[in-house]
Amino acid sequence: MNSITRNSFRVTSSFIRSALTNPFSTIPDTAETLAIEEPDKLYKTIEIELKGNDPEVMKSYSKFAQMAADHLEIKKGEFKKPLHERNNLCLLRAAFASKKSRVQYEIRTYFRYMNFHHLTGSTADTFLEYIQRNLPEGVAMKVTKLEVRKLPEEITKALESTNNHAQ
Amino acid sequence: MNCIEHENISGEFRVFDVRSNKRKHAHVQEKYTRPPANPPREKIMPTDQDWPSVWPGPRTFHPASVPLTVRQGMDKNQKIAPPSKYANAELMKIPNFLHLTPPAVKRHCDAIKKFCTPWPNELDTDENINKHFPLKIITNDYCYSSPKIRDPKARVVTFKFPLSAMTLNNHAEDKIKRLLGERFNQETGEVTLVTDRCPMRRQNYDYNMYLLVALYYESMNVEEWEAEKQEEDMEYYDWEKNPSKKAYIALKYWPKPVDEIKIDEISLENDEKAQNYKEAVTDLFNKGETTHNLFKYKEAVLKIVNDEFQNLDVGNMCQ
Repeated sequence: MNSITRNSFRVTSSFIRSALTNPFSTIPDTAETLAIEEPDKLYKTIEIELKGNDPEVMKSYSKFAQMAADHLEIKKGEFKKPLHERNNLCLLRAAFASKKSRVQYEIRTYFRYMNFHHLTGSTADTFLEYIQRNLPEGVAMKVTKLEVRKLPEEITKALESTNNHAQ
Repeated sequence: MNCIEHENISGEFRVFDVRSNKRKHAHVQEKYTRPPANPPREKIMPTDQDWPSVWPGPRTFHPASVPLTVRQGMDKNQKIAPPSKYANAELMKIPNFLHLTPPAVKRHCDAIKKFCTPWPNELDTDENINKHFPLKIITNDYCYSSPKIRDPKARVVTFKFPLSAMTLNNHAEDKIKRLLGERFNQETGEVTLVTDRCPMRRQNYDYNMYLLVALYYESMNVEEWEAEKQEEDMEYYDWEKNPSKKAYIALKYWPKPVDEIKIDEISLENDEKAQNYKEAVTDLFNKGETTHNLFKYKEAVLKIVNDEFQNLDVGNMCQ
């Protein structure tokens, strides 16, 4: 568990793992290799909220996201489809006078929620970037990430020392 | 008209044509015929072609490149079939997913799979995750078309963790609960710290971390003025230090006045009725008034009072 490290390809080009040679890298093989082991983040849940005007577009996009998750072996959670929100306007039909004749408009916002569980930082970044690059026009996305971490070192060290004292 | 422009026919008088220029142009001009257009590409597309190569990225619908007979739109007056795809604005307006067909998605995912890392197997249940990684950090990202790429709501950082993750002694636990106030949920035992005071997310995150550590060390610290804590400030009810004990002792040792009895020296551990009563009163204060607790209190008091009545010296009472 302690050996999870951030995927090296995603780190900037100045860090190269000595064991692997990236065929697309312009840095020669003889250059100094700095293997900086940055621990990978752990995301227990990533919730993606979609808002849009066209329900069919959002349906297609959800399907695409599911396909991508399946290929990248990401655990899928709940996919919710709450009721759309309506914004109704009753306006005057004519530019001048004619108060009696009106026209009514309705603006609908459709929602979709997609939950994915148990992602590492590298996987999450890859998946989210791919998903977001293919976000269609007229759809807005909000990503809520729930990262899990240990308590900061200052506290864990203090707890350890108190436990040692108690023992 | 052409006869006028011919060379002189057998010595006839040549009439000067004033408008000859125009005629000349008219003669030279040929009607422009467009070269015949190729048939639309879709008609010669093989069925086993590589579609992701044909439509690699998001693109407005182009009817001649898509070998599908799609129809879109309606004409409510004439009641004819939906219009075909050629020169169909409705089809062009909507976003299409022709670049994200299942084989295309598979290809993309295969290419980016090398950037992913697997989730560690040991963290398969929530319990395991919470045990090893108790701190939860919640952040939001926003992605939508807008004049600017930033959203001010993205700077908010929320920290959640169970208070039991920090093993604190009684004093520290009480102090940290007072410091947290509303941020501590009594029922779930979870602490929530929400920060949005700084303009950038990184700053809010760092501030939250500092806050977490500061809370811990502050609660472990014992200040001088904390010794002035009085009975009214206590967070729980202690029967030994409250007038309820005094009242019981007064009843037990009646008619001897309470001032003469040294309350601290009396040990009520062997007194079953006292312990019963103590438990009932403590529960009422600490756990709240429920029918069960009230019933228990009633039972405890009745036990004391009934027995005391029987032991009373009636002669003394009448004086």
